[in-house]
Amino acid sequence: MAKVQVLNVAVLDNPSPFGNPFQFEITFECMEDLPEDLEWKIIYVGSAESEEYDQVLDSVLVGPVPAGRHMFVFQVSKLWYVWKSFSMPKKT
Amino acid sequence: MKLLKPSWVSHNGKPIFSVDIHPDGTKFATGGQGEDSGKVMIWNMAPVLRDEDEKNENIPKMLCQMDNHLACVNCVRWSNNGLYLASGGDDKLVMVWKRAAFIGPSTVFGSSSKLANVEQWRCVTILRNHTGDVMDVAWSPHDVWLASCSVDNTIVIWNARKFPEMVTCLRGHTGLVKGLTWDPVGKYVASQADDHSLRVWRTMDWQMEANITKPFSECGGTTHVLRLSWSPDGQYLVSAHAMNNSGPTAQIVERGGWKTNMDFVGHRKAVTVVKFNPKIFKKKQKNGSAPKPGCPYCCCAVGSKDRSLSVWLTSLKRPLVVIHDLFDKSIMDISWTLTGLGMLVCSMDGTVAYLDFSLDELGDPLNEEEKNSIHQNIYGKSLAITSTEAQLSTTIIENPEMLKYQQERQSSAQLGPSSAGPEASAPKLNSVMNGESLEDIRKNLLKKQVETRTPDGRRRITPLCIAQLDTGDFSPALFNSAPILPSGSSMSNQLTSQLSSDSSPGPASSLGLRPGHDPMLTSPPAGAATKGPEDNKDGAKSGLLLTSASKIEPMKALDSRFTERSKATPGVTATISSIAGLVPLDRPKDGGGVSAPKDVKAKDDTSSDSEDKMASINKNLSFSKRKPELLMDGDGVVEKRKKGRPRKDKMAAPMAQPFMQMTPPAEREPSRVAAPPAALKLPTPSIKKAFSLQVSMEPSVFLEVENEVSLIAGSKLSQLRCSRDGRDWNTLLPSSVVTAAGSSDVLAVACQDRMLSVFSSCGRRLLPAIQLATPASALHCSAHFVMALTAGATLSVWDVHKQKALVKNESLLSILSGADTTVSQSLLTQQGVPVIGLSNGKCYCFSSSLETWTLIADKGDSMVQCADFRSCLPTHDAPVSSGPLAVMQGRNLNAGRLASRLSSTPHHLQQSMTLAFLENQLASALTLQSAQEYRYWLLIYARFLVNEGSEHRLRELCQELLGPVHKSAATAWEPTTLGLRKRELLREVLPVIVENLRFQRLFTEYQDQLELLRNK
Repeated sequence: MAKVQVLNVAVLDNPSPFGNPFQFEITFECMEDLPEDLEWKIIYVGSAESEEYDQVLDSVLVGPVPAGRHMFVFQVSKLWYVWKSFSMPKKT
Repeated sequence: MKLLKPSWVSHNGKPIFSVDIHPDGTKFATGGQGEDSGKVMIWNMAPVLRDEDEKNENIPKMLCQMDNHLACVNCVRWSNNGLYLASGGDDKLVMVWKRAAFIGPSTVFGSSSKLANVEQWRCVTILRNHTGDVMDVAWSPHDVWLASCSVDNTIVIWNARKFPEMVTCLRGHTGLVKGLTWDPVGKYVASQADDHSLRVWRTMDWQMEANITKPFSECGGTTHVLRLSWSPDGQYLVSAHAMNNSGPTAQIVERGGWKTNMDFVGHRKAVTVVKFNPKIFKKKQKNGSAPKPGCPYCCCAVGSKDRSLSVWLTSLKRPLVVIHDLFDKSIMDISWTLTGLGMLVCSMDGTVAYLDFSLDELGDPLNEEEKNSIHQNIYGKSLAITSTEAQLSTTIIENPEMLKYQQERQSSAQLGPSSAGPEASAPKLNSVMNGESLEDIRKNLLKKQVETRTPDGRRRITPLCIAQLDTGDFSPALFNSAPILPSGSSMSNQLTSQLSSDSSPGPASSLGLRPGHDPMLTSPPAGAATKGPEDNKDGAKSGLLLTSASKIEPMKALDSRFTERSKATPGVTATISSIAGLVPLDRPKDGGGVSAPKDVKAKDDTSSDSEDKMASINKNLSFSKRKPELLMDGDGVVEKRKKGRPRKDKMAAPMAQPFMQMTPPAEREPSRVAAPPAALKLPTPSIKKAFSLQVSMEPSVFLEVENEVSLIAGSKLSQLRCSRDGRDWNTLLPSSVVTAAGSSDVLAVACQDRMLSVFSSCGRRLLPAIQLATPASALHCSAHFVMALTAGATLSVWDVHKQKALVKNESLLSILSGADTTVSQSLLTQQGVPVIGLSNGKCYCFSSSLETWTLIADKGDSMVQCADFRSCLPTHDAPVSSGPLAVMQGRNLNAGRLASRLSSTPHHLQQSMTLAFLENQLASALTLQSAQEYRYWLLIYARFLVNEGSEHRLRELCQELLGPVHKSAATAWEPTTLGLRKRELLREVLPVIVENLRFQRLFTEYQDQLELLRNK
């Protein structure tokens, strides 16, 4: 069995004004203590046909993760997505 | 009969393929198609049963929903104990679910907060072996196995006590296997497949018992499932879809000879499912009429593709009831409640129906006891050996004491995390964790969340832990009230044999063989066992003096490697060598017991000397508790034993010198193998220049011997130095000390001139030197007893305080029969009972009252291996592993190892074997005067008697413990045994008796008498 199981992803603040960030509340369960962080990504699926158009909007590390059930909110600015889609240079 | 279709039980209109009611009747599970996955749902039973509960908003209907199956779920089944739920689906997987007791609230995937799961069920195991859709799963009686069948034409039997272990895969069907059922007594499992056959498999050897094809030859493979069923009395097996004269039937197969003479006729289309009522019924007694000796009968529900359901009683020729048009599509599964009066039916159309019968319609259900007696009569084997809850409900408790005990038991059972108690009747909708509901957690999650930046600038979120994971998913204790003995016993067997077959340069003997080998080696060589400090502690606590690496010892050590690896200190090593007899046992052991200050000097010398000292023969033994820091000092001293003494040599017996440790000799001592006269039976230890040993830990007493210290008037004197809690004393002896031993009370040394001297712990000579007939072979002290085993194979034990001999020059000849038998282990218990372990696996102790050798343990005894008393082990106590009996029998008693296969031996045979074994243990503990062990085995024995219902023995046991109530001069009853008051023991036994309500009269009887005696 996989060590990590995603139990739920709830979209918060939905629907929301354009300027608000995306908020995903993620619940997952971990079977054993993880020595390293988990990496989560928000990917904008540009086209269902091909992964070529996938765009990683943001990625975040989550840790430490002891065995048990955990929750966190993954928040990413929509403006990020706008900027990225116009291939703007990265801004910190 | 009442009929209800609870519309709220649905998978959003998707087909429901399977339904199963939980054994406690408070919930039921459905399995079927989900949105784009398989779906298992658990529902509350209360709203189905009662109208008011259905309307009550606070009572949840759906308890949990699991979407983990990737494709349609074909079957859901609760284990008989109700702790687990197994589900099988089109994704080829079998999942086993368990209620997560301590886990917090959760929601259904993708939903917002509304559809909260009231109960948390977690998938604890996924069983993967099938290569096709799993069509049916079935738990064996007692939940020993789980069977699953699949369209890959196979049936897989899983070990339900050790998921995901597979017991076997039954091959033989040539078509899709679509149904499974276990024989209620666990002897067979039957399967029905699309290959027009019904096969019966034996659980004893997993071979096919019967292949029934005739009634199925005309069948077409048109049904989704073929769920067959076995009657609760085990006499009949009823198949799903069969044909008789081109009409669809459910074929009745008789157990005797697998004859197919009868069938259930009437359905217009193929029968998909047959389900027997778990109860056996007898005719309802009409008020006033004389009781008629009616034959008990069974009740069976048959569901068909023609959407109709029929319920049959085996006493009637016609069905009790036939219900048409209950569903829009084929019936897929039927489940009865354990009470036998309710039934849930599910259909492909996605609905469920509940049928409620009354006693008038079905008859009087037999209670568990009557059902058991039917089983007992037919098969000589009862299903429900232990008292069951069902029994509880029907038996009237007659005694307030009994009631109190029962209530205590029940409340403690419910406290346990494994309880699947009927608390589900009105669980709160909002699960609460730490006083905070899921809602609150969610609201504040974003605010509370800690976000940091890693050095490389990435965001890192610390997740909020909303629930601890409950661990120990498959602790066997959940299945069995007692921990199953670790499989280490068999594993260690393998390992030891592996080791013994090792050729000499193997790791086991490497220390002695490789000249260049560094004797300072502290880390254990591969294959060597690391001995945990725990082990040593055990030995010390019991105050046993234990010598030699016997057969038992390596096993113990190896086991400890598996169980205590984490605790092991690297410094504590025990190299296991070949098993008794191949070559003399080497057991280079760390010598931990060196007193620290002395040792510093010793160590320096050793490093240079030890390589040359290959020849010195020594063995050491794990006795004392050794502190790791001490070990670090001491491990510079490694004893070795010379190789290659011929096996048949009379000297070859691996006899130990207890607690010896080489300290570096001032001058090189030539290798010396004491070659005693040929008449001697037992080897004697060689004389070393000096050695030391730790006698006891509390108070810490060290003994050091230096031979030939000074020459006075031509005679060499030896020095015996002892330090006790920092205070030293020493004394001189006229001859070289061969071996020494000590306890916290006395010290004994045997000299080369066959003199045995006994000192008090302060160095006072307690006895004049005792002249032994032959040189001492082994010496033990325990409490105020001294035991000497001489080379002439005689044994003596003295009580130093009373200055009396307990055992006088007793010859070992009577037990040393057979050419190769040698003494492999010897020990003296705290009570002064000598115990001798032989290389043939037998263990004797000399009973001074009977003046004879008594056999207390035999490794080769098959009874020991077949005895199954695990269910009687106390759950909370750790097994007594420190008593002399346990030490001699090896800590991992093999008992019950072969017993795990429930049905492989006839029950009555196993029962007798277990009984014999337990009585043996009891008697042995008594002879060994090991009070703790006696009590331990007594309680197990009592529990076994209670479980098996052996009233006569139980009564006799109680009677013996109680003794005569009225004093009379004539009785020879002793109020105590081994220092334990018998009536106190009885007081401990009584709560055990309560566990079986059948014995409540017995309980009351003895309880009252005890009360009477107390008031006197």
